[in-house]
Amino acid sequence: MRFAAGVDVGSTQTKAVIMEDTGGGGPRLVARALVDTGANVQKAAEHGFLAACREAAIPAQEVGFVVGTGYGRYKITFGNAQMTEITCHARGASFLCPGTRTVIDMGGQDSKAISIGAKGEVLDFVMNDKCAAGTGRFLANAADVMGISLDEVGSLSLQGKHPVKITTVCTVFVESDILSYLAQGKKAEDILNGVHLAIARRTVSLARRVPIEPQISLTGGVARNLGMVRALEQVLGATLQVNAEAHFTGAIGAALFALEKMDQSSESAIGRPAHA
Amino acid sequence: MPKVAGIDIGSAFTKAVVVSDAAGAAAVVGRAAVRTGVDLEKAAADSLAMALADAGSPRESVDYIATTGFGRSSVSFRDLQVTEITSGARGARRLFPQATAVLDIGSQCTRAITLTEAGKVRGFKTNDKCAAGSGSFIVRAAKYLQIELGEVGEIALRAENPQPISSICAVLAESEIINHVSAGVSVEDILSGIYDSLAERASMLLKRAGMGPDLVLIGGVARQRGMVRALENRLKVPVSVPADCEYTCALGAALLGLKRLQTQLSVAACRS
Repeated sequence: MRFAAGVDVGSTQTKAVIMEDTGGGGPRLVARALVDTGANVQKAAEHGFLAACREAAIPAQEVGFVVGTGYGRYKITFGNAQMTEITCHARGASFLCPGTRTVIDMGGQDSKAISIGAKGEVLDFVMNDKCAAGTGRFLANAADVMGISLDEVGSLSLQGKHPVKITTVCTVFVESDILSYLAQGKKAEDILNGVHLAIARRTVSLARRVPIEPQISLTGGVARNLGMVRALEQVLGATLQVNAEAHFTGAIGAALFALEKMDQSSESAIGRPAHA
Repeated sequence: MPKVAGIDIGSAFTKAVVVSDAAGAAAVVGRAAVRTGVDLEKAAADSLAMALADAGSPRESVDYIATTGFGRSSVSFRDLQVTEITSGARGARRLFPQATAVLDIGSQCTRAITLTEAGKVRGFKTNDKCAAGSGSFIVRAAKYLQIELGEVGEIALRAENPQPISSICAVLAESEIINHVSAGVSVEDILSGIYDSLAERASMLLKRAGMGPDLVLIGGVARQRGMVRALENRLKVPVSVPADCEYTCALGAALLGLKRLQTQLSVAACRS
């Protein structure tokens, strides 16, 4: 068996990757898939995994070991092991951006900061899963209120020259702030810039509870939003590393652990879901 | 016979009442509510015009205007502005003279107020940092479950096995609701769980404010019987609700305005 998979069942999206043990060349990312988690977590995990297998053009039985992570990891019926998203994000970030000492992860419904040692081990972490501030949900809501697609808010924010002042970080309250700025005739880009900076301040104050050491990697779905990257850099006063695969960091970390465990285990790939 | 208006510019609705002082007994003669929207001055003017129409009185008949609520200072035609703490306490006490505590659940803000024996504000606590525990929690849940807001409270009363909603964030709670729906939990049990969650937040605020034995629940959410029952279950005390609960702060503002007007008139009378 050369292939292993990582499935990261997040609150909003499920990410699955297939990695290959190339022998001398180290682990290689061969396929990735992204599906909406929706209400049926178990199905989302299966769909994500099978989509990644299709992308890799290998049958599910070829995958020797599957590690599940993310909030829905215990609902994965076909996995061989589960690991926390903290461990997987740390591992994935060290793989994608070698030398990472701090991970800031902004997901659909939570955000976290992880402090990593020189050998890639987790030293400490903080997490906000009590409130939507600093998460993708906040940005999705703001985009919704403004009638702008979530994919565009980041680039619009970058065009803002005079960010409006947003004092609340509550996702509900900020709706009123946005509406009143719109009524005052403020530009969408200035409002969005203000929103991004408010979220960046909130996330950085969370992250400061673990020591922030360079180099800093941004992971999670929000990492695709360049406006958020720049806002975080502005508030941090430091540069962020953002890998093109940052969205899949947790799944990649899980797959790396899966490759290791596959070597140690003689367990065969039983119980894989069949292609629909 | 002086007439005074009280206007409560809340984050979702603006409420106006017109009070007439006939023979020293102030009585509400008109009331109206409009959506606040983004133009606070317009919302105040519109609600006042509608309340006057309800009273059958012309604009000139109003001698004094008091504003309250989050938009109170945005109304240029006001004579007086008071906080929603002061107006809520005054209005609740007027309707329930024995009240020692007032809970005001608004769209975006929940306030717990305790009163002295004389009806003055002794202390208060508000959740002004975030929407957890506020009425918008119910609005969002109703929207997702596709239920008319007016029906939510009645439906919740039919719950057989209320499901706890653990999130304190009104936005993240939506995900919990989605999970409950997909797990086949009944709408009744979900809504009842939401009220329990709100009641828990409210009771924490009340305890921090130093709650008294006679509690009055005001604000629009007080119309929802599911909320009243959830509060009574948690606090183990009966909860009084005014008939026009959403107008309590507007009434309080009008009464405070009337008092101010009478003081001005008597000072003027002494000087002349």
